[in-house]
Amino acid sequence: MSINIKNLCFSYGRKFDPVLKNVNFSISDNTITVLLGLNGCGKTTLIKAIAGLFNNITGEISYNDTLLSSLSIRERSKLVAYVPQKISGIDDVKVEDYLTYGMVNSLKFYQTPSQSEKQKTIDMANKFHIEHLIHKNMSELSGGERQIVSLVSSLLQNTKIILLDEPTSALDLKNQSLVLSILKEISKRENKTIILSSHNPNHALFLECNVALMNEGKILKFGPANKIINVEDLRCIYGDNVCLSKDLPYTEISFV
Amino acid sequence: MKNKKTIIFLSASLLLFVIVFFLALMVGRYSISIGNFFKALFTNDPHFQTDRSVIITLRIPRTIVAGLTGIALSLSGLLYQETFQNKLTSPDLLGVSNGAGVGAALAIVIGLSSAFISVLAFAVGILTVMTTVLIAKFFRNGSSTILLLSGIIVGGLMSSLLSLIKYFAGNEVKLASITYWLMGSFANAKMETVYILLPIVAVSTIFLLSISWRINIVALGREEAQTKGINYTLYRYLIIGIATLLTASTVAFSGTISWIGLVIPHIVRLIAGRNTRKTIPLCITFGGIFMIVVDILSRTFTSEEIPLSAVTGLFGTIIFVIILFLKRRDYHEH
Repeated sequence: MSINIKNLCFSYGRKFDPVLKNVNFSISDNTITVLLGLNGCGKTTLIKAIAGLFNNITGEISYNDTLLSSLSIRERSKLVAYVPQKISGIDDVKVEDYLTYGMVNSLKFYQTPSQSEKQKTIDMANKFHIEHLIHKNMSELSGGERQIVSLVSSLLQNTKIILLDEPTSALDLKNQSLVLSILKEISKRENKTIILSSHNPNHALFLECNVALMNEGKILKFGPANKIINVEDLRCIYGDNVCLSKDLPYTEISFV
Repeated sequence: MKNKKTIIFLSASLLLFVIVFFLALMVGRYSISIGNFFKALFTNDPHFQTDRSVIITLRIPRTIVAGLTGIALSLSGLLYQETFQNKLTSPDLLGVSNGAGVGAALAIVIGLSSAFISVLAFAVGILTVMTTVLIAKFFRNGSSTILLLSGIIVGGLMSSLLSLIKYFAGNEVKLASITYWLMGSFANAKMETVYILLPIVAVSTIFLLSISWRINIVALGREEAQTKGINYTLYRYLIIGIATLLTASTVAFSGTISWIGLVIPHIVRLIAGRNTRKTIPLCITFGGIFMIVVDILSRTFTSEEIPLSAVTGLFGTIIFVIILFLKRRDYHEH
């Protein structure tokens, strides 16, 4: 049971250089995969391609031998949830309303969430300790709170796969730790397959997960974080200034 | 808490809608007292024949058309603002009003009857929006920005065509008719207008109410809507189609009426927040009330009717300043 990506290529237009160049890899069920790489290496594009946001990809993205491109928008949304880096169009939207939007794929076009579905939203909010936020507007939330709300909404979508585009990019250390801990817990307890992009290799080590090291639209290396994340490979991508924290002239602060 | 607030405002505005509607039937240059109003409508007393005639043949169709126009333009404004994630868009965003203006001006210059003025205004209005969508498609870019820019291009073209038609109108009476039509009026409203407008507005409104919850998700933008399971492209074109139909059909009969599509959605969002399940019903009542009140004012205070856009513009700017003052904290520099 896995996600298989074969010969995936994509460019944003005929006159543009390809952003994804022959990407090949497989992701097992109930695992976390962190996409690491420089800005513009194709992390976000790869996540959006798996989410089904591009029509003109070449190659294959399949789950258990089912091509994702063969699924309708509704069917795909029952398999894959996507948490964007920044949510747009949410000012004045109440958190409890936003959370219920995650359930739209299980409702008919004229239906709205029932009382039991609304209760499910409250239960999920309680589970992730955001019950105090549900009556607030999304615009009143901090970056970390917004990320967690967005994540909870994607969980209410009840999909096997969750894609997150740089979920920690706008967060302080405390909130980074909180969001990553939640992801770790979800993957284990709820049997979810999670793919996220990050700029921080420490996040992959913290999550004890797989890493796809990307460079110029290709997967350079793929495997467990403790094997892939090494100074030599990271220097190939990030440059010669990369070093281990023990070699730093100061004590690095991180989270556990 | 906001739920309760919405219910209170909706009930109060519904009651006000009914009051304003009946007030509009009594008030005007020919004033009818409450006693005479009921006698005219519910008795066959020949003394009230004139009152009866004024109410039934003039004021009832006119007030219904005013109410329907208010509902249609407010809903269109709300739909455009939500779909394009831009609070400053109005129903004529994709060129429908400019197009309808060209159609009407052409019909006036040719010398067609008022029915054909409406038909041509409606047809050219719809064709203009179709051109806007086609130009956006030509760029092979599905973004809302391209559609908006395409609307500005086509709207600009239509406005130039309108200037040309006015320049070549040749006859001062025709020029005055075009200018008067462009400023909006319900003076030509008849029961036939109601028979055409009512089903369009009623069916569109019922459909919008049935998908009102989903419009919230469309308003989150393509990425979020599509990955949550909404066919964004289909819904966006459906919403644009309904908004265009509502605007074109009302503009065809009443001319261009500015501000209402911008102001009413802002007022209802101030009350109910950003949730189309609440804002659509409020737009219906508030839009209807606003337009009927504007119509009463336009035909009551002077011997000649004041064009609707002049009144909506006057009230619209005052209300908009109040809204901006109330929401000033939301419009800070980032």
